[in-house]
Amino acid sequence: MRYIIEHETILEYPQGVREHHVELRLAPRSDGHQRVISCVIESEPTAERASYTDYFGNRVDYFCVIPLHNRLVTRLRSEVETLKENPFNFEAVTPAQEDLWLCDAVLRSPPLNDFILHRSLLTLPVIKLAEILRCAVPKPDRSRPLLESLLELLAWVPTVLEYRSGTTEVHGALTTAVQQGSGVCQDFAHLFITVARSWGIPARYVMGYLDPGISAEDEKLATHAWAEALVPGAGWIGFDATHNLLANDHYVAVAVGRDSYDAAPQRGSFKGDFSGEQPTVTVTMQEQ
Amino acid sequence: MYNAGMQGSKPRTPYHEFYADDFTPRDHYRLLWDHIRATGNNALEAKAHESQLALQAEGVTFTVYGESEEGIERIWPFDLIPRIITAPEWVKIESGLKQRVRALNLFLGDLYGDQKIIKDGVIPPELIYQGRDFRREIVGIVPPRGIYTHVSGIDIIRDEKGEFLILEDNLRTPSGVSYMIENRVIERRILPEFFNKYRVRRVEHYPSLLLAALRALSPRGAANAEIVLLTPGIYNSAYFEHTFLAKEMGVELAEGRDMVTVNDIVYLKTTTGLQRVDVIYRRIDDDFLDPLVFRSDSSLGIAGVINAWRAGNVAIVNAPGSGIADDKAVYPYVPDIIRYYLGQEPILNNVPTYQMTNVKDREYVFDNMERMVIKAVSESGGYGMLMGPSSTPALRKEFVDLVQENPRNYIAQPVVYLSRHVCYMDGELEARHLDLRPYVIYGDDIEVVPGGLTRVALRKGSLVVNSSQGGGSKDTWVLAE
Repeated sequence: MRYIIEHETILEYPQGVREHHVELRLAPRSDGHQRVISCVIESEPTAERASYTDYFGNRVDYFCVIPLHNRLVTRLRSEVETLKENPFNFEAVTPAQEDLWLCDAVLRSPPLNDFILHRSLLTLPVIKLAEILRCAVPKPDRSRPLLESLLELLAWVPTVLEYRSGTTEVHGALTTAVQQGSGVCQDFAHLFITVARSWGIPARYVMGYLDPGISAEDEKLATHAWAEALVPGAGWIGFDATHNLLANDHYVAVAVGRDSYDAAPQRGSFKGDFSGEQPTVTVTMQEQ
Repeated sequence: MYNAGMQGSKPRTPYHEFYADDFTPRDHYRLLWDHIRATGNNALEAKAHESQLALQAEGVTFTVYGESEEGIERIWPFDLIPRIITAPEWVKIESGLKQRVRALNLFLGDLYGDQKIIKDGVIPPELIYQGRDFRREIVGIVPPRGIYTHVSGIDIIRDEKGEFLILEDNLRTPSGVSYMIENRVIERRILPEFFNKYRVRRVEHYPSLLLAALRALSPRGAANAEIVLLTPGIYNSAYFEHTFLAKEMGVELAEGRDMVTVNDIVYLKTTTGLQRVDVIYRRIDDDFLDPLVFRSDSSLGIAGVINAWRAGNVAIVNAPGSGIADDKAVYPYVPDIIRYYLGQEPILNNVPTYQMTNVKDREYVFDNMERMVIKAVSESGGYGMLMGPSSTPALRKEFVDLVQENPRNYIAQPVVYLSRHVCYMDGELEARHLDLRPYVIYGDDIEVVPGGLTRVALRKGSLVVNSSQGGGSKDTWVLAE
C-alpha cells in the first residue's frame, strides 16, 4: 500500500515563550516492512533543522526558535509504501528451539535487554498488575509456539481495557487505565508490553499511523500506538491490542521505544509561561 | 563475589597511621612528634586558633543539608595535624589509581559503543540496563579521544593490616578538591618550618592542571578556548568550590540560565552579546544537564547542549553518562573490568562487597547486619546508607524492606575499621578514623595530584567521614622521598 501522511501540530502560548528547543520523532521508519518515498518536515516560524538517529534507531529532527513567539507549528508530509501484507509469513521455529533463539538474539544484541527489563509507571512490574486486576495475568504455554500465546494475550488486553478516549493522559500511569478499566491505544500497548516482558519476551512500544479505513475508533484521526514483540523466527511483529490485530501493510511505524515516552512524536523545552493548553494535532492519511 | 562466613568474630584493631605502637611514632612522623612533645599543648592550641581564624577570614565554607531544605553553611572543619604518606606508599596509590581510571574509561567507551564486555559475559546486562545512570541518550557519541572522566575523585581507605583499598569511585562531579588546596594554604601558614624539613609535594597546581585538560578539549583549539564552569547555583553544597575553581582557573562561573544553545552552538549571555562556549566544566548531574533530553523539569541545565555535544561543537566535562561506571553495583566488577581491558591484575584492591541481587549474599547480610554497611547504589555523600554497628533494630528492619523491594539498588560491605590518626580535639590529642580522596586528571595523560583530601570522622569511634555527615579534614602530605 502507498499512503500520504500529513501531521500538523500547533502549539500556542498566549504569554509568549523563547529559547524553544524541539525534537521531533515524526519521520516514518525505513526498514524491511516499509519504504519512505518522501518526507518533508517544516516549522513555523522557520528554523534551521538538523537530525540524528537515536538509541532506538528513530530519526530525530530538531531545531530551535530563540526569539519570543506565541505560536509554533510543525508539519510533516510523507509518502510511504508499506510492504508487509501477511504478518504470518515467516519460517517458524519449533517451540523447543524458541528459547534458544531468543537467548541468542539477546546475547548478540545486548540493547534488547531494555525491552525485557524495563519497568516504569507505563510498563509496570507484572506483580503490581495482578494485584490491581485481582486475577491471574496470562502465562505462555511453552509447549505451543510463542506466537499462539502472544495472540491470546492480544485478545486478553481488550477484556481488561475498554477503548474510551480522554480517560487517560498522555504518558499516564498504566495503573490508572487498568483500575478504571478503560484507556486509549497507548494504554492497550503498554498493557500488552507489560505482560509480554514478564514472559521474558522482548517487547517494545510503537508510535505510528493506522489506515483510517481499518480504525474502529470513531473519532478524529491521530497517531496510533501498538506493541511489537520479538517472535522467534520472525523478528519484530506488531500487535495492535486496541483492534486485536497483527500489524500489516495498513500500519505505518514511526518511532519505537521502551514506552510511549521514548517514542513521543514531539518534545520541547522553552523559557516562559506555559498556560497548559493542549496542542492542536491534525493528522490525515490517504491511500494512493 | 565473597563467600559467607569470611568474617571472623575476633575484635579487630584499626591500623594507626601515626603510631607504630603505644609509645613510638612511625618513622615518618617522628619529626612532627618530637616537635609536638617539645612545644606542648599550648602551642597546638595557639595554632588551632590561628587556623580557625584563617578559615573564617578566607571564607572557606561548606553546606550541610538536613531536615530543612535550605541547608546550613558552616566553616570548613580542619585539623592541624597533617596526615603523611611516604613516597613508596604513594607509588602504589598513584599507579593503582591510574590503572583504575584508564580501565574505567575504556569500560565507558565500550558500554556506549559495542558492549563487548557484556557480549563476552564479564558484566551481566541487568547491571547496566537497570542502572539509573546508563544514559541511552548518548549511545554512539564518542567524546574527544574517548575520555569520559577528566576529573575523578577516588576514595581510598586503609584496612586493619594497613593495606590501601578502594572504597568508592567518584566519576560524576567529585567535589572537595578546593578543600585540599585550602587545607594546604592554611597548613603552610601555621606549620611553615616543616615544609622544608619534610619535602612535601605540591598540590596547589591542581587548578592549572585542570585548566590545561579543559583547554585541550576545545573544538576551536586550546588557544581560543572559552571555558565555563556550570554550577547549579548558590544553594548547592559545593558552591564554595565552584567559585573557588572558577576564580583560580580564571574561567566564567555560570548557571544554566546564563547560557543558550542556538543551532548546536552553546553561548554565554554577556552584557556585550552572545559569546561562544567551547568547554563546559559542569558541576551538575546528568539528570539536570539538558531538559530537552534528560529531566524535562530541570531549570538548572542548558536545553540543546547534548545535541551541541553530539555535533562536536562543545566539550562537556565529565562526559555525560560517566555515572554508570561509579554505580556502586558496578563497583564489585571493577577488578574484572581492569583484567578485561588491560590484562593486568588490579594494583589496589576493592573492599569485599555483597551484591543484594544474589540471594545467598543477601541472606548472609541480613543475618549479620550489625557488622555491615549497606549503601544505596546511586547515592553519594553518605546519604541512603546504613552503618550496621551504630544502627537501631528499627532502622535495620527498614533497610531489610528497602533491599527486598529493590535489591539492584543496594550493596553491602563488611564494616572496615578505617585507619586512625591523631587529631587535636578540644585541647587533647585523640585518635580518629579517616580516609583519603586523591584527585585524578585525565588530560594528555593520567595524572594523580600527590595528595588529596583526607577526611576525618570527628565523632569518637565514628566511621563516617563525609563532610555532609559531620566529617572533618586534614592536610595530606605526600613525601618526595
